[in-house]
Amino acid sequence: MHAISLQGVTKTFGDLTAVDDLSLTVPEGAIHGFIGPNGSGKTTTMRMIVGIFHPDSGSVKVFGEEMRGIRTGLIGYLPEERGLYRKMNVRTLLEFHGELRGGHNVPQQVAHWLDRLSLSAFADAKIETLSKGMTQKVQFIAAVVPKPRLVILDEPFSGLDPVSAESIREGILEMRRKGTTVVLSTHDMATAESLCDSILMIFKGRKVLDGTLEQIQDQYGNDTIRLSTQGGTEFLTRLPGVENLRDLGQFQEVRLARGADPQEMLRALIALVPVKSFSIAKPSLHDIFVRIAGNE
Amino acid sequence: MNKLLIIAKRDYIESVKTKAFLFGLIVAPILFGSGFIGIMVMEKKPDLTERRIALVDRTGEAAATVIEAVQEKNERDLNDKDTGRQTMPRYKFEIVAPDTANPDAQRLALSRRVSSKDLYAFAEIGSKALHPDATGEKNPENGISWYSNETGVNGGRSWIANPMNDGIRRARMTQAGVDPARFSDLLGNVDIRTMNLVSQDEKTGQTHPAEKRTQAAMAVPLVLVMMLFMIVMITAAPMLNSIAEDKLQRVHEMLLASATPFDLIGGKVLAALGRSLTSSILYIAGALVVLNALAMFGLAHLELIPWFLIYLIAEITMLSAIAAALGSACGSPQDAQSLGMLLFIPVIIPMMMMAPIMEAPNGGLAVAMSFFPPFTPMMMMLRQAMPGGVPEWEPWVGLVGMIAGVTVISWAASRIFRVGILLQGKPPSVGELMKWAVRG
Repeated sequence: MHAISLQGVTKTFGDLTAVDDLSLTVPEGAIHGFIGPNGSGKTTTMRMIVGIFHPDSGSVKVFGEEMRGIRTGLIGYLPEERGLYRKMNVRTLLEFHGELRGGHNVPQQVAHWLDRLSLSAFADAKIETLSKGMTQKVQFIAAVVPKPRLVILDEPFSGLDPVSAESIREGILEMRRKGTTVVLSTHDMATAESLCDSILMIFKGRKVLDGTLEQIQDQYGNDTIRLSTQGGTEFLTRLPGVENLRDLGQFQEVRLARGADPQEMLRALIALVPVKSFSIAKPSLHDIFVRIAGNE
Repeated sequence: MNKLLIIAKRDYIESVKTKAFLFGLIVAPILFGSGFIGIMVMEKKPDLTERRIALVDRTGEAAATVIEAVQEKNERDLNDKDTGRQTMPRYKFEIVAPDTANPDAQRLALSRRVSSKDLYAFAEIGSKALHPDATGEKNPENGISWYSNETGVNGGRSWIANPMNDGIRRARMTQAGVDPARFSDLLGNVDIRTMNLVSQDEKTGQTHPAEKRTQAAMAVPLVLVMMLFMIVMITAAPMLNSIAEDKLQRVHEMLLASATPFDLIGGKVLAALGRSLTSSILYIAGALVVLNALAMFGLAHLELIPWFLIYLIAEITMLSAIAAALGSACGSPQDAQSLGMLLFIPVIIPMMMMAPIMEAPNGGLAVAMSFFPPFTPMMMMLRQAMPGGVPEWEPWVGLVGMIAGVTVISWAASRIFRVGILLQGKPPSVGELMKWAVRG
């Protein structure tokens, strides 16, 4: 059974079609990444999976069950718009969220996660006294107690320092190890590449990419050269077969036109400047994202 | 536990712990009670400054009898009959000859004396006051004009009106040749006692004689309605701000993933009911203790307590549901302030109508208002607590209407809440709110 199954889902707000005939499946026990530019329909899709919005047409099933008007304790949800009752203390608030999802052993699970994310010392502190990063970690815990089978995380890493982000990342991996299905949205392509088992890209409400990173990259072939030279970058676009240049500072990423020969390009490059490094690669997720969202 | 109950439990515990709730619980009765205390103080410490009144008599015959009648009544009422303490000011008159050539200049000069506090007021007895013509009130010459800058409800005019009329009648009788010794016999007032109705015990058939209606008995409906108003203000009022604040802090989206909008709004309404019942139990217990201590327990009307609680539940449910809907539509704290006025229409209008309703508790307006569901709790409570009460069927019919009204309002409110709670930016218009309520 799929953790999530969307069939022909459309959602409009007035004249705006936020999600357009979207179909997707998410297997159980995997980490699935939603990527896409702002306003592409990621949050609307997540809200429909959780049951906050109902689709205008199509069906949304979670663990085989239609989601219309149902609130199940099986789903944990971290919305992009962060907000917690500021006057409550951390432990009481987390136990409230756990109880609301019908959890068992909620106090023990809250204690486990507070310890896991180094927040035990703040268990009795009021939310309003916490830093932004700590508040975000508390909200993450609120989304994952009590042991949901599916967790939806909308931009879980935004605004976090590297240490806090790492503790959230470890928490997500721990949940996957225990069999929880995780769906997360992110604008950080490196995170999506390294953390997600499969990736879905939504653009203008429609699905434009769906699969593992390898499957997605295979659609584009080995058309990317990563190189660094001792002679600047301005001449690179004049090399044979170069379609696009992305200067990353320490090295450059060059996209070749369909049918162009990398060896020919290397020969032309060596004739011009000393080459420090040259590798043929599949395009990065970032590059693919920009190609689609940049309307290339 | 049911999600609605979990939300209600959290909201209740978190709100009763707040300083605002505890402060309101203590301060509200002090604020409302201070009005009554103020009246009592005013009655005990009246303004006893002598009141000088200039009297312009255009009849040429009435001044003496008017002054005589006023001063006789003044002497009778001057001191409290039990304590002998002076309770009202002494009235002194100054007869001013009418200026027939330039009456306006005379009025201006006297007005200036009133403004400079040389006079309390001046009165002008119209030339036809003893025998008014057919033009009646339209012609000031047919009556007495009272000029003053007093603004108080219990100013001199209301007290002096009767003895002045008495004086006019005395002048007429003098003209008719009646012996002045007979004036007090002919014009003397008799006491009209206000009595409750005679009732009969349906089981025993025993007849209960009517009792004299006291002022304290008339205070019972006032106190009950004020208590209802007070509890509504300290429990339902903060809900609009609280929901608007929660919306601005984005706390609802996460909750909506775990609970339906109905659970959320229902939990909040239930918490408001919990707060109101907590307040009312404390207030009712306090009122009973005070009445007992004052040996006035007979005024307690224990039979009205269940109705009081029913009306309270209906009022709080209705207003909390409206508050949740309006709160969900707010885009800023300022919106919450301006929408607050809409929320309190169901309690403000009955409060403003209390005086006319108490004048005629079984009149058409009173009955109609008490069957209009948003006004039923306060209006029916007021009428039920009045001496004589209401026909037995009326509260039950009111209850049915109220249940229907509360159901419709709560249903519409939950639909508005569902749409509004996740919207950000510009607040919706009233038309859009209506559309949300109808279409969801």
